[in-house]
Amino acid sequence: MHDGSVVQVKSRPVIDRLGIAMRASHVLVVLFVIGGIVFAAIGTAMGDTFFLRLATEALIFAGLALSVDILLGYTGLLSLGQALYFGLGAYVSAVVLKQIPSFWAAMAAVLLVSLVVGFAAGLIANRVRGVYFALVTFGLAQVVAKAIYNTRALGASDGLIGVPIVPVDFGVVTVMSNAPAGFFLVTLGVIVILYAISGYLLDTPFGRVLIALRANERRVPFLGYSTRNARLAAYVIAAVVAALSGALYPMLRGFVSPELLFFSTSGNAVITVVIGGVGTLAGALYGGVILTVLKSVVGSMTENHLIVIGLLFMAVVIFLPKGLMGLARPQIERLLGREAR
Amino acid sequence: MTPVLEVNNLGVAFGGIRAVDGVSFAAEPNAITTIIGPNGAGKSTLFNLISGLIRPNSGRVILGGVDRTGAAPHLMQRAGLGRSFQITNLFFELTVFENLRLAAQRLEPMRRFLLPTGKSDRALAQVGTLIDRFGLHAKIGELAGTLSHGEQRRLEIAVALAAKPSILLLDEPTQGMSHADTADTANLIRDLARNVTILLIEHDIGVVMDISDHIVVMHQGKKLTEGAPSVVRADPAVKSAYFGHA
Amino acid sequence: MTELLEYIQFVLAPQMITGLALGIAVVLVALGLTIIFGLLDVINMAHGEFYAVGAYVALALGASGVSFWLLLVIVPLIMVPIGYAVERGLIQRVFNTPDRHVTTLLLTFGLGLVIEEALKIVFGPNTQRPPTPIPGAIEVMGVILPIYRLFLIVVGAAIVAAVAIVINMTRLGAIVRAAAFDRNMAASLGVPVKQVFAGTFAFGVALAGLAGVLLAPIYSVFPTMGRDFIFLAFTVVIVGGMGSIAGAVVAGLLITQVQALSSLVVSPVWSDPIVFGIMVLVLVIRPQGLFGRLGHA
Repeated sequence: MHDGSVVQVKSRPVIDRLGIAMRASHVLVVLFVIGGIVFAAIGTAMGDTFFLRLATEALIFAGLALSVDILLGYTGLLSLGQALYFGLGAYVSAVVLKQIPSFWAAMAAVLLVSLVVGFAAGLIANRVRGVYFALVTFGLAQVVAKAIYNTRALGASDGLIGVPIVPVDFGVVTVMSNAPAGFFLVTLGVIVILYAISGYLLDTPFGRVLIALRANERRVPFLGYSTRNARLAAYVIAAVVAALSGALYPMLRGFVSPELLFFSTSGNAVITVVIGGVGTLAGALYGGVILTVLKSVVGSMTENHLIVIGLLFMAVVIFLPKGLMGLARPQIERLLGREAR
Repeated sequence: MTPVLEVNNLGVAFGGIRAVDGVSFAAEPNAITTIIGPNGAGKSTLFNLISGLIRPNSGRVILGGVDRTGAAPHLMQRAGLGRSFQITNLFFELTVFENLRLAAQRLEPMRRFLLPTGKSDRALAQVGTLIDRFGLHAKIGELAGTLSHGEQRRLEIAVALAAKPSILLLDEPTQGMSHADTADTANLIRDLARNVTILLIEHDIGVVMDISDHIVVMHQGKKLTEGAPSVVRADPAVKSAYFGHA
Repeated sequence: MTELLEYIQFVLAPQMITGLALGIAVVLVALGLTIIFGLLDVINMAHGEFYAVGAYVALALGASGVSFWLLLVIVPLIMVPIGYAVERGLIQRVFNTPDRHVTTLLLTFGLGLVIEEALKIVFGPNTQRPPTPIPGAIEVMGVILPIYRLFLIVVGAAIVAAVAIVINMTRLGAIVRAAAFDRNMAASLGVPVKQVFAGTFAFGVALAGLAGVLLAPIYSVFPTMGRDFIFLAFTVVIVGGMGSIAGAVVAGLLITQVQALSSLVVSPVWSDPIVFGIMVLVLVIRPQGLFGRLGHA
């Protein structure tokens, strides 16, 4: 019998700490969704467009941060080039949408392409770990970014513009991609679904192998699992998450550009995860929102907001290594633990 | 009876040094075979060769009648080999429960691999069995890194045993243990041998003589001699290897 | 035949000398990086930014009249206390955490970001270029070579040789190597390990700063110069072997020559992919690099 936090082992209840931690993240994400819905309602009531679209963009990049956390927080791999898949998803989505303005067609294409590319690149990247892995992922993103930058067919340095407005058809209701609140909720839905799938997978025996990789990679083969295959699987999942998030970008902005693949995009995602909380999944979402707010607020006060964020990042790494969720989660875990007894 | 594990002329060299040189022996079912030898004899390297961590330059490793020479560690594990480590190699940041559950989840059918861990009945049942056998009730929810040394060494054995291997390789399981803990562990190992074959590296001669069914003596990478405990104990060559004189 | 000679004289040789000049500077940067990694087990993602700081300080001091020759001495000296402070104040704080490699990576990555932004704030985002200290060119065997590049090659090589001698043949070098090998043992032998580590880091960073001074007149100075350079530096360290001085030298010279010669045949757009390709090839075939030992990261 298992409700996710307490396991019956020989009819004695045992607290499954990893299960509780994941449930605490779920609680935080539910709160996040509620907050998002309230935000959308208020925004609509006030006729706002700007903040809703800013929030949508924050969510899209939060999806990229989510993919970073899957690798860093659970598998123990620091990728400095996740923007490769984010940008790949954005470009594929833009190209598809310009031919077939269908949300589902774009998403399906991105899913397929990211699976293939993620697998191929993963074969290269996962031959190494640690800083070598970080550098290879960095290099991969740089090379592809420069390649796109120099490819006229893809718009070169200007990128691709003229992505049409897309109807998102759910059967019962259709949301247009230029509807501020509507598309915000669609994005929220997509990102939360990506979160839910990731969270689910990490609570399965498969996910526990990934967590074991981070905890002590050397022991994992002796559990009967190939570390190469496990890391490759995590890498592909992260690639798909990043790509599907990126696929939403041209729907929101109407264009894509090579900046999406540059190191600053990857770096921002890492900063988001670290500040939000590594290894919590929820940290990616909250971190994304917090960082966007910070950038706007500090950015309105001074042009040099990046240095403030950089300093904040360093402070978090030194003094608050578990990030903001690291402060919030234990309280919730305690509540859940008490409930379960 | 076919031996559970057969090692034939196994050897590996690291840049000119023959760490293991032409070693052959067999581990009989449900027996405790102990490898002994002075420091640097190549015992841990031998374990690394058998468990797949290092590829041998020569010789063969035959597990359960099947030639598994050079197989990677995860394939050896799936073939029925369990291994503990001389330097405790647990998942220190995970709880005792999770350490055991991770090790036991191999017992589950593949279709449960992508189902929530709560559905892994067999693994959970095995965890329960292990907790009872190894007396880990009190610390079940604690992080493995917070356990005492003796408790960690016991957990180390439990993790190796969790997936019900046909042969258990124990690398100095009593390393660093107190006298009382050592005696308890020796009894535990003898008890385990009723259901699983055991290959043991051990330095404590008392334990070795007490529980071993068969002893293999290694010296400078080679097998010096092997036999029943009483025979090995009286062998002047063995004394010479350890003490430099007969 | 004359065509080949002319090709060598007017195209190949100057290109190789250019590559060599860049190579020596890359070696200086990679040397600092590999010493910091090999001896301190720290991945310094901000190393490129220290290279940029050296260039900017030289630019600023040079603009206010300090002679280039003085800069060659002053700038590294200025970098030393900066590096020391960074190591003692920041890196040592996270050195004893379990996830050390990832944490120092993240921390130095953040530091690099902050330094880059700081440079942008102080000096502005535009590219600037200090004047060439030794203008002009001379003719060597019919090949026209810029004097400054030759100077760079000679001075750089001398510095690299000096570093190798200090590390491998002096008592100071032995102390550093001992502390790197086993810090507890070295500490119990009376070696001030914390100071040694901080000093080594400072030294590595000073080398990067010196490279910045030397290369500034050729490649210009701009806030993101560090980030562009760091990938090349890390590739050199990986190919040469993390922690190997000989490796950094050989790999640094080799890779820059490959870059220089390849740009004669293919468009410069291919420069990055080629360097990356070399890195991936080495990581796949021989992960410990040409001279390195596996085990870190």
